[in-house]
Amino acid sequence: MSVATPAVARPAPAERERRRRWVPRPSRVVLNLVLLLVAIFWLVPSIGLLIVSLRPESEFTHSGWWTALTAPSQLTLNNYQVLFSQGLKPGGLLDSLITSAAITIPTTILVTVISSLAAYSLVFGRWRGRTAVYLLIVALLVVPLQMALIPVASLYKFFGSISGYNPFGTVPGVVIFHVAFGLPFGIFMMRNFYAGIPMDLLEAGRIDGAGEWKLFRRVVLPLGVPAAASLAIFQFIWVWNDLLVALVFLGGSPHAPLTVFLFDQVRELASNYWVISTGAIISIVVPLIVFFSFQRYFVRGVLAGAVK
Amino acid sequence: MARVVLKDLTKRYQGGTLAVDKLNLDIADGEFICLVGPSGCGKTTALRMIAGLEDISGGEVRIGDRVVNHLSPRDRDIAMVFQSYALYPHMSVYDNMAFGLQLRKAPKQDIDKAVHEAARILDLERFLKRKPGQLSGGQRQRVALGRAIVREPAAFLMDEPLSNLDAKLRVQTRAEIARLHHRLTATMIYVTHDQVEAMTMGDRIAVMSEGVLQQVGTPRELYESPQNRFVAGFIGSPSMNFITHQVSLDGGSPRLASEGSEVLLDPKQTDLLRQRQLKTVEVGVRPEHLEIGERNGSGLRAAAKVDVIEFLGNDQLIHAMASGSDMVALVRVDDSLSVGSNVILTAPANRIHLFDPETGEALAVA
Amino acid sequence: MAVRAKTLRAVAVPSPAAGAPSAAGVPDAALGRPAGGGRWRGHLGSLAFLVPAAIFLGFIVLYPLAATAVRSLFDQSGANFIGGANYKTIFSTSDILVSLRNNVIWVIVFPFTVTFLGLVFAVLTERIRWSTAFKTIVFMPIVFSLTASALIWRAVFDLDPHVGMVNATIQAVSNVFNPPGLYAGALSSGRTVASLARTGLEAGPNNSLLSTGTVSPGQAVQLGVTGVSPDILTMLGAQRAAIPSTASGAVTGLVWRDFSPSHPLAKGGVFADEDGLPGVTLSLIRADGSSAATTTSAGNGTFRFDNVSGGTYRVSLDSKNFQSGFTGIFFLGSQSITPTSGLDKTAQAILSIPLVDIAMIIAMLWIWAGFAMVAIGAGLASLNREVLEAARIDGATEWQTLRRVTVPMLSPVLVVVFVTMLINVLKIFDIILNMPPGSSQGAASTLALDMYNFGFTGTGDQGLASAIAVILFVLVIPAMLFNLRRIRG
Repeated sequence: MSVATPAVARPAPAERERRRRWVPRPSRVVLNLVLLLVAIFWLVPSIGLLIVSLRPESEFTHSGWWTALTAPSQLTLNNYQVLFSQGLKPGGLLDSLITSAAITIPTTILVTVISSLAAYSLVFGRWRGRTAVYLLIVALLVVPLQMALIPVASLYKFFGSISGYNPFGTVPGVVIFHVAFGLPFGIFMMRNFYAGIPMDLLEAGRIDGAGEWKLFRRVVLPLGVPAAASLAIFQFIWVWNDLLVALVFLGGSPHAPLTVFLFDQVRELASNYWVISTGAIISIVVPLIVFFSFQRYFVRGVLAGAVK
Repeated sequence: MARVVLKDLTKRYQGGTLAVDKLNLDIADGEFICLVGPSGCGKTTALRMIAGLEDISGGEVRIGDRVVNHLSPRDRDIAMVFQSYALYPHMSVYDNMAFGLQLRKAPKQDIDKAVHEAARILDLERFLKRKPGQLSGGQRQRVALGRAIVREPAAFLMDEPLSNLDAKLRVQTRAEIARLHHRLTATMIYVTHDQVEAMTMGDRIAVMSEGVLQQVGTPRELYESPQNRFVAGFIGSPSMNFITHQVSLDGGSPRLASEGSEVLLDPKQTDLLRQRQLKTVEVGVRPEHLEIGERNGSGLRAAAKVDVIEFLGNDQLIHAMASGSDMVALVRVDDSLSVGSNVILTAPANRIHLFDPETGEALAVA
Repeated sequence: MAVRAKTLRAVAVPSPAAGAPSAAGVPDAALGRPAGGGRWRGHLGSLAFLVPAAIFLGFIVLYPLAATAVRSLFDQSGANFIGGANYKTIFSTSDILVSLRNNVIWVIVFPFTVTFLGLVFAVLTERIRWSTAFKTIVFMPIVFSLTASALIWRAVFDLDPHVGMVNATIQAVSNVFNPPGLYAGALSSGRTVASLARTGLEAGPNNSLLSTGTVSPGQAVQLGVTGVSPDILTMLGAQRAAIPSTASGAVTGLVWRDFSPSHPLAKGGVFADEDGLPGVTLSLIRADGSSAATTTSAGNGTFRFDNVSGGTYRVSLDSKNFQSGFTGIFFLGSQSITPTSGLDKTAQAILSIPLVDIAMIIAMLWIWAGFAMVAIGAGLASLNREVLEAARIDGATEWQTLRRVTVPMLSPVLVVVFVTMLINVLKIFDIILNMPPGSSQGAASTLALDMYNFGFTGTGDQGLASAIAVILFVLVIPAMLFNLRRIRG
């Protein structure tokens, strides 16, 4: 972590260096050792799951996964091959992977765009009651989504009865729900970023002849890219990992996202641990890739989300 | 190019604060006018009302033939240079300048021509592809100017455009803007708190204080005949000295005296004072008009004791205590002076300004 | 100027309002109004940007808030108004009270612990060179779904030491201090030690076996055992059983598997296809029950006690031969970690905290400590270093600086992390649904899970589910007010 201003930052490393030199060696060794153990403790459970997914089912109850550390010949990609060779069978792993993407990607885009628009209006609009609306948004940040599940399910069914299209049990139904509950945080985050854009820029744009839409598209939106990226990545991982909403709105459907797929496997009594471990690893890999590609943006999003 | 007329322009904020109070100003087509005053005097608010960035509480703004009160900034046909430059950080220099024309859907080749022409005038051709973040302060300032020029607006509005530059660059850019004005012969409204900037650049200067216009005139008019004490003190550097004198009618003709100093009035001033029946009068004299040593004829004569001497090269600035107040005199370097010496400071009558101590109004309207 | 006029004039766009006579014609009286109509059109334009968000929030968040509150006052069918009856049910049903109890435990234990852990990590990582790697490792679980994390920890705490790492570790340690008997496997599937006796043996004290007859020095005994699998014998390297020879001053004997595949019904008698039991610990027991000597059987099952003084003895197969080792703790079970005996049934259900709660809290710490660490670390990095240095100059030790200066200065961040985790844990759902096995899920349940179960599984009761949701909402309100105050301040 870097310190905010260089004036403050400069003495700090020197001070830390000095401190390092003066702390007696054994305590430094102990500190490093303790943190090393902590790091191992944090890594081992995930590594365990990974190895379980790479071992044949027959080995599972016979010996612990850690025996593979000394006998790596046990490892095989067979479990993955089996799961993927099932193809797009409804309820299969690949189908779940696609359903997860079909929920997550539209949600992420919609939340980012709608939040940016609303935040623009909250920051640069001149209508009365902007503060009140902002406070409402802040209040909505912590509303448990349990408060909405039952009425929204009814609402979807009602909509189905008048229009012939019932979003309950469909991917759009899940997306709509996620977008709505993603908005308070999205608007909150984008608003706080936009509030830091100098008013002068907007005024320069107005004088250059830009209307509200042009100001948004050509000035504010491009400047807000870092915040929008943080929001999008945060939202992507959040929705990708959701279980509750998918369970309620897609629970009985043949197409369910990965989290529901895993949950269904857990509920089956058969010894299917190879499916569970392999599926869990696949479900982890996608957010992990996103995390490592955009680590900085994600961390910023999580820190902003410290109110959710 | 257009004439800009402000008529009773008023800005009243919620809560009743008057930021601008009935400002009347008639700016001729092609004129360079400076709005000057201390911070908080309402000059920037006035400019922003002209630009359409601030709602107008009362009065009207006329650009060309149109009252523009109800028009949005984009429809007012003006360009503005901001104190912070307000360059779009995500656009190249080229796009920053082209943006306004693009929004007006001007043909592409025309935009290109206009941007290159402006870049040539401002010596920015090498930087067209760069982002503002890669430019120095002076270059950014020129991009902000270029953005305004390209638009060829009815009027240029400039809000302290030089205050973010260092002193040397500021002097240089000052001249550059003046040159630009001659070249474009455009109407320019220039806001600054720096009276030197205003004096050197403006065709005319409008001095404001606490929302009220104090005086409008050419730099010379403001310097030579300030209409009130505020303008007298604000214009000119170092500031004018003020000494309060008692008025006594000595055989019908008024005599001004204070502890250690006295003024012999010339006939015109005598007439003025006789009409006004004042008990005291404030006498103002610019440091550069004070001389050391006795002189004959009418004028100011004050005995003072030298306090501080500031060496300026050719000249020196003398701070001296006279009649209980600090007086500053700008005189030729003179080795005979030293701190603590007693001197006589004098100024001729035609260099003396008289103000009503109650209202601050100048007595002499020559 | 001439050049400019040509080039720039070419792009001069007709002044947009040139043809609009209205502006010039506005009477002066109208100008006193605060804002111009043209400006307001722009403002309303930006108000339109709010419309999509307003639609989503209105239909999917705000309307449902009210609808759920209303629904909670109706019965299962939704047709009959029953006032607060659903709330009464919640506070009088022991299953839901158990969930409430679990919520309370989570709220008391988790936010504090995770904030503390985050603070410790944040402070300690400032002093190591590989802090980025450490932070990445600890932060990583946040991007896993709670479902996947629950499965990871379900495996870690698995009962079977061949699957669960924790039980495997405990077993490994336990085997060092308390090794299992060689013949522990014979007692699997609920067999007693007594059932192993076949020839010349009977049940002894404390799960041992005792020879039926007595023996004196110079004599030999034959002790037949059953129920030991051939696999174990093969593993232990057993040889064919041998008839023991006698020796003066010594008690000798044979302990063997009294089962001959060629003579399956024969009881007693040593056949050529019968194996001795190697490694059996035997004791020579005096008439008063005390042990005179101990020995271990050889590969062919023979044993020998030398230098035995005269008298009659019995031979025992010690209990440690059959004693089982550590077989695993059911961390994911509902067994109580609090003593509740003597309480009535409801009180017992509510007050017995299941072990699985601890396991789940550990899993949640693993997931969220990284967030706390990074948030607090960011706060730490933005502290004014000079204040910390001033404290050092003032003579504070590193520990004093931390306790008296750093932590107080960090307190706003600590409070935010605490509140965030509080909200988070109030709504805890995925972990509860996926980590405990079915048998302990009831004991581990929380309000969020109950809400789901009542609302969307089985026959359910959406009125009751709505009431539970409302309670969750009410519990979150203090955090909401905290956020609002923080934003306003």
